[in-house]
Amino acid sequence: MQVDFNLWYRTMYSRAWVRVRSTYGEPVWVAVNLAVPLLSSLAMALLYRSTGLSRFTGFAILGGVMLAFWGNVLWSMASQFNWDKETGIFEIYLISPAPITAILVGMSLGGILATVPSAALVTLIGWEFFSMSANPSWMAVFLTFILTLASLYALGMLLSSLYLTYGREAESLNNAIGEPINLLAGLYFPSIGTGSPFPFAVQIIASFIPLTIGMDALRKSVFYSGGVEAIWLDLLVLAVMAVVLLFIGDRALKILEERGRREGTLVVRLR
Amino acid sequence: MRVIRSILASAWMGWQREMKWTNPALSLFVKAVAPTAAVLSAAAVYWFGSSFIGLFTPERLAYIIVGASMYSQVAAYTYVPTAAITEGKWSNLYPQVYITPTSSIPYLAGRCLASFADSVPVIVISLAVSYYVSYALFGSPPSITISLTSVFMIGGALVLSIPAATALGYLLGSYSIFVSRFEWALPSYVSGLLMIFSEALFPANILPYPLSLIAEIVPFTYLMRASRAALIYNSWSMYLNSMQYLALGGMVFLLMGLVAFRKAENSARVKGYIDKKVM
Repeated sequence: MQVDFNLWYRTMYSRAWVRVRSTYGEPVWVAVNLAVPLLSSLAMALLYRSTGLSRFTGFAILGGVMLAFWGNVLWSMASQFNWDKETGIFEIYLISPAPITAILVGMSLGGILATVPSAALVTLIGWEFFSMSANPSWMAVFLTFILTLASLYALGMLLSSLYLTYGREAESLNNAIGEPINLLAGLYFPSIGTGSPFPFAVQIIASFIPLTIGMDALRKSVFYSGGVEAIWLDLLVLAVMAVVLLFIGDRALKILEERGRREGTLVVRLR
Repeated sequence: MRVIRSILASAWMGWQREMKWTNPALSLFVKAVAPTAAVLSAAAVYWFGSSFIGLFTPERLAYIIVGASMYSQVAAYTYVPTAAITEGKWSNLYPQVYITPTSSIPYLAGRCLASFADSVPVIVISLAVSYYVSYALFGSPPSITISLTSVFMIGGALVLSIPAATALGYLLGSYSIFVSRFEWALPSYVSGLLMIFSEALFPANILPYPLSLIAEIVPFTYLMRASRAALIYNSWSMYLNSMQYLALGGMVFLLMGLVAFRKAENSARVKGYIDKKVM
């Protein structure tokens, strides 16, 4: 099947634009998205401070920054098609010539751009409150950040196709998986390598989550001035994860879309 | 009698909504996973920080596990009004409740009771799992004592927290009546702020003055203190002291909540917000 790149690009751009416009046109969204990452990271930073280790408060703030993106992946990527199905928008996607993968990529790019203000505010407020000391290696931070987001949003695309088959269970599933992934990924403390409380087997399992590798590499590059040469393996793993998850997500979407079409479950509304 | 019947009917409906979307065992499992993981995250942060400087103590670990587990119940209450009112407006349920005479206050009280009922097993699961997992991970058992007396004490503290929880329901319900967008915003903030200001993870004196004073007027702080007195310190004097503040604070909060909700409801009726849907 030949891909119409112009159509693909225009679809992707349109979906991203809607998401960016909805956030920047309604700044209240920034305040709404800020609540969970900001207050969770402040609580964890205060917990570090209460143990007498103010130097690690930066770990908690960095966790809050990435939680903003991870929350966006869970609630605005994974569940999105399910909500679109409920409100009837998904039907429109299906009958239009717009490629679904372009919609998902647009949703991801829009989601990233829309989450940037919340993530930046978590950083600024955390910095102001806790006077964190960081020693960043900027190139490594930049590459890690980009690759972590790429793999996280690729995971979001995969989840979104899986959630297409769910009804209201999707919301409960989202509520259930968020915190365990925060724990395994070591959002606020190292969950793999030195300092991890987990046994080796659990660390291996945790390493299959892109956020785990991303957090580990970000901590090294932000706080210990680990350059690209120090975290090249993390970067490679993140890049491979992004490509593999994107491929699986695309395949899963096609299979589940086909199955949904045959069984007539794609356009079942809950309202 | 009619009010009690309304409360029970609403509690039953809330229970059905929370627990019967799948089989109850799976539903309970799904409900307990996130709070348990959150408790373990806090415990791991403490372990990582304290073991780094050699200040790890099982008592402090217990402090965090008990507080974080109890917090899961407090957090659950903050989402009740949104589920009951905003979602109720969307599904046309709330306007129907409203038009039956004097039903919305018992309706919200019933939904809070349902939340109490379904979050108590979640606390038990998260406490038990966190205890054993942190023992296995950190090699030191948290100093939590479970006895008939401590179970009785913690049960009493949970029951005495119902007025404060219902008050929180009414206060947030006053907001839920009016919102047609961003309905999860305020509950998210309140839930997050309660994590900081209710001594869920750390003592309030860590907070800079005068922020540390806020914890003293939040009734849930006394739920945390009473729970720790029961499960960690085994101190009746600490327990009774916290219980009296929990009762007093709960009643004051309940009064405030009822006044706020009644005013909000009247204002919403005049302005036509009762049946304005969230889309």
